[in-house]
Amino acid sequence: MFGPRSDEYTGRLRWPRLGQDVAIVAWPSFLVASVATMVTFAFLDPLLVGNDDYPPPAFSTRMTGYAVGFFFYWLVAALSSLLTLYLVRTAHPEPSETEQNAEDGDRSRA
Amino acid sequence: MTVPEAQVEGGLYAARQKIYPREIGGRFQRLRTIAAWALLGIFYLIPWIAWGGRQAVLFDLPARKFHIFGLTLWPQDFYFLTWLLVIAALSLFFFTALAGRLFCGYACPQTVWTETFLWMERFVEGSRSQQMKLAKAPWNAQKILRKGAKQFLWIAFSLWTGFTFVGYFTPIRELAHLIATFSTGPWETFWVLFYGGATYVNAGFMREQVCKYMCPYARFQSAMFDKDTLIITYDESRGEPRGARKKGIDPKSKGLGDCVDCTLCVQVCPTGIDIRKGLQYECIACAACIDACDEVMDKVGYPRGLIRYDTQHGIEGRPKHVVRPRTIVYAVLLGGLLAGLAWTVTHRNVVGVDVLRDRNALFRERADGRIENVYNVKILNKDGEAHEFTIGASGVPGLEVDYAGPKVWVGAGSVQGVPVRMRVPREALAGGADIEVAIQVVDRPELTARGKARFIAPSD
Repeated sequence: MFGPRSDEYTGRLRWPRLGQDVAIVAWPSFLVASVATMVTFAFLDPLLVGNDDYPPPAFSTRMTGYAVGFFFYWLVAALSSLLTLYLVRTAHPEPSETEQNAEDGDRSRA
Repeated sequence: MTVPEAQVEGGLYAARQKIYPREIGGRFQRLRTIAAWALLGIFYLIPWIAWGGRQAVLFDLPARKFHIFGLTLWPQDFYFLTWLLVIAALSLFFFTALAGRLFCGYACPQTVWTETFLWMERFVEGSRSQQMKLAKAPWNAQKILRKGAKQFLWIAFSLWTGFTFVGYFTPIRELAHLIATFSTGPWETFWVLFYGGATYVNAGFMREQVCKYMCPYARFQSAMFDKDTLIITYDESRGEPRGARKKGIDPKSKGLGDCVDCTLCVQVCPTGIDIRKGLQYECIACAACIDACDEVMDKVGYPRGLIRYDTQHGIEGRPKHVVRPRTIVYAVLLGGLLAGLAWTVTHRNVVGVDVLRDRNALFRERADGRIENVYNVKILNKDGEAHEFTIGASGVPGLEVDYAGPKVWVGAGSVQGVPVRMRVPREALAGGADIEVAIQVVDRPELTARGKARFIAPSD
């Protein structure tokens, strides 16, 4: 054949692994953090966060409170996603059904 | 020239080749363009609409109040938002069961903004092959000019998008003024740049990769599919075996199907897949391949629809069912939730009361022998107009309510705290009792609310 035409794709169309990993960690945690922030601050006024007896409160303005809350949730959720991803990536591949059956068979015979 | 296998596949960390979707006209692309204009129009224009002296849609986070036209939502109304999210999710299920990934192709922000960025790219860099040629060309003045112009358009559009987004939370006219005078607050600046930056990266660079790797919906939508779901599909029995042929020749005499293997369906695909390999989760159902194929079929004089919207049953030549248990269940649930939401929004109580005890003293014994407790009664008026309220209380015989009344004026959408002294005769009570505080609008007695409080008296 004549090889690819000038307007055909010749490279890989997928992201490199590292790019995929960053996306898989950052995006779901972003979604979860958004929902968590909404729920939290629907019930909690950031200006009321802090110690009642020794003002001032923890946040100088509500906007600061919302933002700190959001990024805190994002960080926590991202750590969780990162651990999950690590566990999934480092696990042995799931044995196929036939392998699993053979293994079970061995055990029942033993 | 052939390309070595290793270069095609690349290592795990090899850079990805950019996808250059070829521009295509056609009926579905017209529909998508209309959808994009409508949705973007709504997004960019809504913050500029005024309503009764304020911005019509304003999520006033600093004041913890959401204004949506005539409706003002308070933190207590949070369940409306939850309810809305449930309705949105269920609508997604319903339309997915009916028509597949309609949302992805026509309404998803990722698709709509990517499409807009593609328009800008084409406007500056030209057609698909011109773009690919430019990418390979050495960096000369021409390339710098074109790439620079594209970046300028992209960045300006992204910043405007970030500005509009923040305009939903900070009154947009004030925000425009603040930006014009370089006096925005730190958080406003940050969120404009954050949302603008996200738009730029998502629509300019990540594009279809978001759908491929980041979108949960792309993965679980298959659970809502059945054999009667509308999908975009290639009619394999009609198209295969594919191959090039001379014009006017009868394909059957050559043993060929209707597919002329022009690869236009691949070139127009924004996710770079080949629809002829069957339904893939990368397919965002934008229907570009349908338009491309229809155009080719028209040209070679074959009937349209080699690639088409159809169902699994339709492709197999079996009867189709739009109404089926799955769609009925979704429709009934959705209808019920919508009706419920409409009822609660129109019937919600627009007044509320919160009773807080004065912290300084439990009770006071007055010279006239009565016991007095002091409260702060917070009257909440969520209505769109101001009202006058009266305050009453019950729960202990002989309970007297004393406040700067008899009428308390509370502005539209405001909270008013009222110091209230309550007194009972010494002999009426020992220890404490629960009392109920009621507020009532003077000229609209049906608007009332009740709150509970504790009245404390000496225990002997």
